[in-house]
Amino acid sequence: MSQSRRRLFGFAALFAGPAVWWGTVLLAPYAIMFMISFYSKQFPFMIPDFQFGNYIHLVSDPQYYLVLSRSLKIAFFVSVVAFFLSYPLTYFMVFKVKSPRVRLLLYVATIIPLWVSYLLRAYTWKTILGTEGILNSFLIWIGIVDEPIQLFLYNQFAMVITMAYIFTPFMVMPIYAALEKIPRSLLEASKDLGIGKFGTFFRITLPLTIPGILAGFTFTFCLAAGDFISPQLVGGPYSNMIANVVATQYGIANDWPMGSALSMVMLFIVLGIITLSDKFERIGRLNLG
Amino acid sequence: MKRLVKTVAVSAALLAGVALAGSAVSISNAEAGELNLLTWEGYSEPIITQKFQDETGCKISLTYVGSNDEFPAKLAGGSSIYDMVSPSIDTTGILAKMGVIEPIPIDILGDNWLDIYEDFRTHPSITGDEGWMPPEGYLWAVPYAWGSINWMYRADKFDTPPDSIDLLWNPEYAGKLSLWDDKTNIYAVARYLYGTDINVYDLNDEQLAEVRDKLIEAKPQLRKYWATAGELIDLYAKGEVWFSNSWGGYQSAILQEQGIPVVEFMPKEKADGWQDAWQIVKGTENMDCALKYAAYSISPYAQCQMAINVGWSAANAEAVKECLSKEQFDALHQGDFIYLDNLDFWQEPVRVDKMIQTWNAVKAAQ
Repeated sequence: MSQSRRRLFGFAALFAGPAVWWGTVLLAPYAIMFMISFYSKQFPFMIPDFQFGNYIHLVSDPQYYLVLSRSLKIAFFVSVVAFFLSYPLTYFMVFKVKSPRVRLLLYVATIIPLWVSYLLRAYTWKTILGTEGILNSFLIWIGIVDEPIQLFLYNQFAMVITMAYIFTPFMVMPIYAALEKIPRSLLEASKDLGIGKFGTFFRITLPLTIPGILAGFTFTFCLAAGDFISPQLVGGPYSNMIANVVATQYGIANDWPMGSALSMVMLFIVLGIITLSDKFERIGRLNLG
Repeated sequence: MKRLVKTVAVSAALLAGVALAGSAVSISNAEAGELNLLTWEGYSEPIITQKFQDETGCKISLTYVGSNDEFPAKLAGGSSIYDMVSPSIDTTGILAKMGVIEPIPIDILGDNWLDIYEDFRTHPSITGDEGWMPPEGYLWAVPYAWGSINWMYRADKFDTPPDSIDLLWNPEYAGKLSLWDDKTNIYAVARYLYGTDINVYDLNDEQLAEVRDKLIEAKPQLRKYWATAGELIDLYAKGEVWFSNSWGGYQSAILQEQGIPVVEFMPKEKADGWQDAWQIVKGTENMDCALKYAAYSISPYAQCQMAINVGWSAANAEAVKECLSKEQFDALHQGDFIYLDNLDFWQEPVRVDKMIQTWNAVKAAQ
């Protein structure tokens, strides 16, 4: 066996498994979904077809546009809240905590909730935010309010809080990596040149962490936009998100063509966001060049 | 060469691992004598089924649904993980026409069959209808339980007890009401808008649009849509909700046990009625157990356990005469199946998909 053929054989042996896996559980389902999105529907059956009715319906019925824009809006707020929680925390961990052991401990403490079931964590927020929940009981106890405040739970506010909490680790991790990579010499140089703390932060630290921030935003945004558990658990009558509508098309309406069309739209939105964030990151790199 | 062998060995091991995991899953699925029931909360609790499991060796495992529309959707996947389902009979015809349920021979049901209410036993959804008749001597479904979609309120929150669903549009109760996450809300609101004589199962586009807008108008008063019995119980127990529709007799009983003062009532717009029946999923590998369970479900023992402990009205009224006290018997309206003038029993809507679409539009609305 020649060297190159042997190498080829080795390559095939190593990657055949992953390729089969990738093809059967990722590529094929997407292809099937794409195909079904053109099928037509005769309840309770779907009919193999090639027509754009589902996509036309998607555009002409305002309910889909409404839910889609609601999903994107909530995902945006979740990302913003997660960012403002994560950046100072991560900055503190990387630059202010001197002991590496304490830093590691804090880092692990931040991401350890990922090991706890999503459902459990979302339920916990119900207990905190409810009419007779911990927060209301506390507010009444210290005398700030007389009547429990209803506005904490079963609305979009509760969803943003819950998802920001749940997805914060996905913001912390890339920002942490970006902050840690910044050479300390750059910060010292800035100081030597007489730039103050704020100037150094806004002109050196923040620009250098933009790739991390973008990665964090992309993660959080996409996870939140596609979430369907928090609307069910802590959302209210105005909280339906796009993933709930997709789940309903498959699980209740028995309308796979419509569910597939919606999924395709969602898929392209997510791909668009990833492309966009990639573009931004490149621009950032150039500017720093 | 050594490296090559190593690579191959590692890949083979990985593949074997995947294959092994796959086969382990399929083994547990094929295990004989296990009935997977897709059903409602409270329907096949151990208190009802323990005796059956002990006697037949058929093990029962449960998956709950929160809406009748889940049955066709779950069975449409062509998955045979469920052996039996218990939708309301307005859904049976859909399943029969889809070809996902198996006809059930009448003779396996024994004498108990004739003790079931005649109206229920001879219903077209049970015996089949034009275009979807089962073979001679067979049924599509075995009647199990019935009841209402009653309305319920917290007695301590209302000075005058409500007698109508018009509360849904009363801003005084903003954020204090709840509705079942189900298309059947359309029926209730259609009766509210057009009177109780309207055929709610055949609404035209204009009526559906009006009902939709009326349901959207109710949204500010809603705290949350409830999706499971357990969720509604939790909403009342935590003080979140004061008024809602409910699965008559079930959630109210559990809440009263917890000391929450809830009262069920039938509004002047009347209420929906439901009749549920067991159906066998086509292609089940546990036909023997499924047939035995279908027969067991209408036995006096099973019907009594259900009526006494869970609180649904029994399909086999003769059987529960023996075990229920006079008060219990009357409370479950067992004497007057179809207490009746007041219940609008569910039928398969002429345009099911339109109904579901309308309800989805309500949920999506701003």
